[in-house]
Amino acid sequence: MKENIQIRDAVPFNFGKNLKKALAIAAAIGLIALLWGIFISQAPASRIWANMWMNALMFLFLGLGALFFWAVNALGESTWQINIQRILEAMALTIPFSLILFVVTFPGLGHIFEWTHTEHLDRILQEKTPYLNIPFWILRMVIYFALWSFFAIYLRRVSVRNDFEPREDYLRRIRNTSGWFIVIFAITSSTSAWDWLMSIDAHWFSTLYGWYIFSSLFVSALAVIIIITVALRHYNILPNVTSEHLHDLGKYLFGFSIFWTYLWFSQYMLIWYSNIPEETFYYVERVRHFKTLFYLNVGLNFLVPLLALMTRNSKRQPLFLAGVSIVVLMGHYLDLYLAIMPGAVGHEAAAIGVLEIGLPFFYIAAFLAVFFVFFGKAKPVPENHPYFIESSSYENI
Amino acid sequence: MHVSPVREPLITGAKSYKDITNDVMAPVKAKPGKLWYIGITVSALLMVFGFIMIGYTVWFGIGTWGADRTIGWGWDITNFVWWVGIGHAGTFISAILLLFRQKWRTSINRAAEAMTIIAVMCAGLFPLIHMGRLPLGFYILPYPNSRDLWVNFNSPLLWDVFAITTYLLVSILFWYMGLIPDLGTIRDRMKTAWKKKTYNLLSFGWKGSARHWHRHESMSLILAGLAAPLVLSVHTIVSFDFATSVIPGWHTTIFPPYFVSGAVFSGFAMVLTLMIVTRKALNLEDYITVGHVESMNKIIIATGSIVGIAYITELFMAWYSGVEYERYAFMNRMMGPYAWAYWIMMTCNVISPQLLWIKKLRRSLTFTFILSIFINIGMWFERFVIVVTSLHRDYLPSSWSMYAPTWVEVAIFLGTLGLFFTLFFLFIRVFPVIALSEVKAVARSSAESFIEKPVKVKPSEEPHI
Amino acid sequence: MKSIVYGYFTDENDLLEAVKKLQDDGIRIEDVRTPFPVHGLDAILKLPRSGLPKVAFIAGLAGGVLALWFQIWVFTSAWPLVIGGKPYLSLPAFIPVTFEVTVLFAAFAMVIVFLVRSNLGPGSVPDILDEEVTDDHFQIILSEKHNKLSDTELVNALASTGALGVQNINTGK
Repeated sequence: MKENIQIRDAVPFNFGKNLKKALAIAAAIGLIALLWGIFISQAPASRIWANMWMNALMFLFLGLGALFFWAVNALGESTWQINIQRILEAMALTIPFSLILFVVTFPGLGHIFEWTHTEHLDRILQEKTPYLNIPFWILRMVIYFALWSFFAIYLRRVSVRNDFEPREDYLRRIRNTSGWFIVIFAITSSTSAWDWLMSIDAHWFSTLYGWYIFSSLFVSALAVIIIITVALRHYNILPNVTSEHLHDLGKYLFGFSIFWTYLWFSQYMLIWYSNIPEETFYYVERVRHFKTLFYLNVGLNFLVPLLALMTRNSKRQPLFLAGVSIVVLMGHYLDLYLAIMPGAVGHEAAAIGVLEIGLPFFYIAAFLAVFFVFFGKAKPVPENHPYFIESSSYENI
Repeated sequence: MHVSPVREPLITGAKSYKDITNDVMAPVKAKPGKLWYIGITVSALLMVFGFIMIGYTVWFGIGTWGADRTIGWGWDITNFVWWVGIGHAGTFISAILLLFRQKWRTSINRAAEAMTIIAVMCAGLFPLIHMGRLPLGFYILPYPNSRDLWVNFNSPLLWDVFAITTYLLVSILFWYMGLIPDLGTIRDRMKTAWKKKTYNLLSFGWKGSARHWHRHESMSLILAGLAAPLVLSVHTIVSFDFATSVIPGWHTTIFPPYFVSGAVFSGFAMVLTLMIVTRKALNLEDYITVGHVESMNKIIIATGSIVGIAYITELFMAWYSGVEYERYAFMNRMMGPYAWAYWIMMTCNVISPQLLWIKKLRRSLTFTFILSIFINIGMWFERFVIVVTSLHRDYLPSSWSMYAPTWVEVAIFLGTLGLFFTLFFLFIRVFPVIALSEVKAVARSSAESFIEKPVKVKPSEEPHI
Repeated sequence: MKSIVYGYFTDENDLLEAVKKLQDDGIRIEDVRTPFPVHGLDAILKLPRSGLPKVAFIAGLAGGVLALWFQIWVFTSAWPLVIGGKPYLSLPAFIPVTFEVTVLFAAFAMVIVFLVRSNLGPGSVPDILDEEVTDDHFQIILSEKHNKLSDTELVNALASTGALGVQNINTGK
């Protein structure tokens, strides 16, 4: 078969002064928002700590989602994503750093989780103490981060080493490691969701919750992958990333937004339908006191991607796709907000103010700072990857 | 498009386009062998026996079954969910794997889709007959009537009517539209006049025009895009039959995605069971390779693991919730009178597919065949455990009772197995088992050795019709 | 008497080159027939993008709106019933059927439009010129009707692209 493959050379990436300045400004905005929230808005402590908790989680979710995306594509022997492989790797390497952001929020745990107040637990919460107690909870957190960080760092190391000494067993090693990671991630993504989010409303439970949070995590990560890809492509750092790759990323965003909606609807409808009070109070609180946000959540995370990304062309235009991704990312921030605030802060104190809008800038800046450091440490594309050529010369359906 | 040389070839042996046509058409042209006759006779006998028992049930009533207070659903709904679940693999292979550009799907999608349609037909029997008055079965459809009565759109049982009907019809559309070009191929290879005319009728007059192919590809892509959420929605709606209730073991939010994973899991197992035999019997080993079996096994291990995680989640949440009824429901599953069913389910569904992490087993046809049977047995028991153990002991101990099937129910189930295999045996004789045009489209890039000229056929092997 | 000229190739890459060459020479191609959809052929032939996706979207939308409206009408106007303590307008319960009917309408409309537009259906009699097209021949068909060249010139043009079995038949149309 006649092949006419042109592999273009990348412009080397440099984490330059302008970029660092922009990130510093964003971080400053975030810190100012935090101070504003504490001193000017005089927000109650629970609202401040809950915001920090929410942002720490989103920071982690982005890296975790990228690592999952990498592993699952490796297992499926998929090739198109090789050209954005280094983006996935650098995002995954932010995972160990997110632990810092979690630890910083530890002083506020008492404000977020009611089960930490062991002196006055009601009967329901007493039953849960074998699982919901601080020592075991922290131990689990340490284990999660240890495992996830190990896989992110190990996979990265194998990938970068292959740039210099390509090995025969490279693919097999990546696949095997990814296999282990996927199993561990499948379990820990659910248990961590229970630990860090579901237990905020400690009287409530839902078997679907872990997978629902996973879907939100994954879509958020996809949105950020798209935004970063479009940005890097704009600066010619990834010249072999074409509309084909964007098309595929757009398909993922479209499909998994619908998957998120499916899980959102399943959880909501089933609890609504059976009308059992010990389950419904969760939604009653949100529909009654956070009504606009509750429906806006579905609007941003379902209607926008569904309508905006349905046509073929929409997924192939970089700026449009990035724009939709930003909207979807904001939508999933809202989803996380609705998962945390009603239970941790309550409808009287919760609000969307300077704190909620400004604080994410700090965390985004921190995320991007770590990302760019690691992205700059390796070649922008893994040129020795056996699937690199297939990734650079494929056409979408 | 470049295909990495590291990839395993999808077609082994030296093949040209003509070879592909001849290999796939051979079973359609040739006279069936002794094994086929034995197979279809046994299946047909089972099928007829089952249908007689359905007639018996309709005549004498649901009292001929073992269902009673409080276990209103037993083998009937277990079988229904089992069959619908099996059907899901076909659409998954056709639609979802198409959207993910998995070229290996081209040699199994036709047979898998046919399997889907037959399985959904078998499934659909059960909701119809378990209502008792089968001649009044049309009541479930919303038609204008003199009583101004409409169906209950609030009920998941009605959502099922729409879901199963839509699924059956759209699957038939998807399968048939894909078949049209291949039926054209058969028409043009047939020499007998009546066979030519029949296949022309069936092929809708296909002639391979580029304009038609362009529309056909666009349509296939959209159908895939429609079928993908459809397949997810159908088994979700089936799960809603249980999850919208209030009893422990049934009312749990994880059911929708867990049922869908379980369906793909059991469906792929059935596809493997069928394909491992079919590839040998119809000499299609060059098209349905060990690589294909391995890819299907990977999906099995993924979906099987998801099912396993769902089990563990349910168990944990039963404890975490603190609800004593929920806790008892799961204790009862593990240690109560139906514990034997629970442990069969756990062994077959959770433990055995994990063996597929071992590459040697993933690529072993014997192991895969045996495992696929175990998985289907395990998935049948999963539905049995969900349906029966949750019903037999829920909130009120004075209502607790036991269920056992009658021979009528067993016969009906065997009858559906008979229906399934009868239709499948007919399918492989009348229609091409492999999607000819799709395999040809990937042949040049993905065959082990693609050749321009066909392998020389000895005169004695020339097929005569 | 207008003629039809046709020939075939056994390699789809040769077909693509031939089609390109004929188009560059200003010859209008009547039809190209292949055993499977050849990648890149649509672009070279400049076939207009199929409207089937639009058909599916509109039909699906219509189906969805119809199904939703119908359920709402049945439960709020025709015969309101309290089911499970829920309000008459119980939207979450109406979603599954709405979705299914959307898919049903979209799929059927698209398939019917496909068959009608392509003139395919039970009883359709195709004008097959080369029975091996559905096997392994990639056929180009030129018509004197739509070209300014005579039939011998078309035969020569086609043969010069490397086509095999070039034939010239008078259709009388």
